[in-house]
Amino acid sequence: MTTVEARPLPRRERAEPGDARSGAPAALSPMLSRLAEERATGVLTRERGVLYLVEGQVVHAESPETPGLDVLLTTRGALRSEGWWEAVSQAGAERRVGRFLVDSGRLTAGALELCHLGALYDAAFFALGPSSGPARFRYGVAHWIGPVRPVSVDAVERETLRRRELLHRIWPQPATDTEPLVRAGRAVDAGLSPRQRTVLDQVDGERTAADISTVLGRPGFHTLVDLRRLAAAGIVTARPLTIEHPAPVASAAAPQSPAHPVSPVSAAAVAAQASADPDVALLRRLRDALEAL
Amino acid sequence: MPGIDECLLEAMRLPGARGAAVVDWTSGLALGTVGDSPNGDHEATAAEAAELARLAAEHKAFAPEEGADWTDGEPPVEDLIISNKDSYHVLRFVRTTFDSSVFLHLWLGRSDGNLALARIRLGEMAERLVVG
Repeated sequence: MTTVEARPLPRRERAEPGDARSGAPAALSPMLSRLAEERATGVLTRERGVLYLVEGQVVHAESPETPGLDVLLTTRGALRSEGWWEAVSQAGAERRVGRFLVDSGRLTAGALELCHLGALYDAAFFALGPSSGPARFRYGVAHWIGPVRPVSVDAVERETLRRRELLHRIWPQPATDTEPLVRAGRAVDAGLSPRQRTVLDQVDGERTAADISTVLGRPGFHTLVDLRRLAAAGIVTARPLTIEHPAPVASAAAPQSPAHPVSPVSAAAVAAQASADPDVALLRRLRDALEAL
Repeated sequence: MPGIDECLLEAMRLPGARGAAVVDWTSGLALGTVGDSPNGDHEATAAEAAELARLAAEHKAFAPEEGADWTDGEPPVEDLIISNKDSYHVLRFVRTTFDSSVFLHLWLGRSDGNLALARIRLGEMAERLVVG
């Protein structure tokens, strides 16, 4: 009788792609470090967002995965929508919109700085996330918001890595960061914080973390934190790709079931997680699908 | 109208002030710092203080009984005070008109600090920072 050496089941990965422990800050974006060194001015475009530099310092950042300053400021009424657009039309050409908001009495300098700085680190976290595409830099480009409170590339990279670790400590599975979300079976704890409850109220089987952040006018990273806590508590989970077809195993494992077309973002997330070995990828998906039932 | 730096410098003028910071309690990010920090690392201090602030802000036990601020957006707690043998820490939640989770953190020497005064002034600063 021959004994077949069984391949061990894949272990759940402890580290996310590009996890803090897997590299020094320089690993985040060597290009960004170089631009900081040469005190460059312009815009760095990466797959998941952009960073604006002035003399090597980060002055602004944007990412489709987190609401922009306009949404953050207008959603809860810190600024009326007309006030924002008036500032953009009057001071946009001179690239002094931030300054204009303060000088015209629409916002205090403190409110602008708190909101803008929060948004900057937030967008930078996403922009500096794992990416597969090439980055490019256009020299001389400035953002119309103008100078608010520049921060060093070092500080931004350190914070980005710290945030990855923070998320990982709360709950090591990144699926809720990008996938459409559903409520899991676990009953809602009465002790849920108000901020978590607000996020939970937006979970409808379709919305992703980015959608929820936009609806709430809340920085994207804050939503990720609450979602990982809700995931850790068994209250929220990423929508399984094929929950409606649990019977045929092959279709449950198929990444692109026609019933649930996969968005490019989720496909990228799945691809990032998937191992090169198709068996391992298959087993992972099976396990995730089973866990989600 | 004051920005983050003016606010922190004002906090440092309080008797006994050793260091101050503006911190986001969801992420643990220090948005601004001035002076010293207890372990010589403002970023680490901010992350630790943020944990404490988050617990206070999120647990219903610390919310007021009446006119409950237990709704999203309004931190239910005004401030946190910690004392030890040689210093005080005052954490003051900042109410903003946009979605945020920010507090001011003031570290005071116990021998020359005036806790009552610091608490009142920090509350005023938190308000002026956002409302003007």
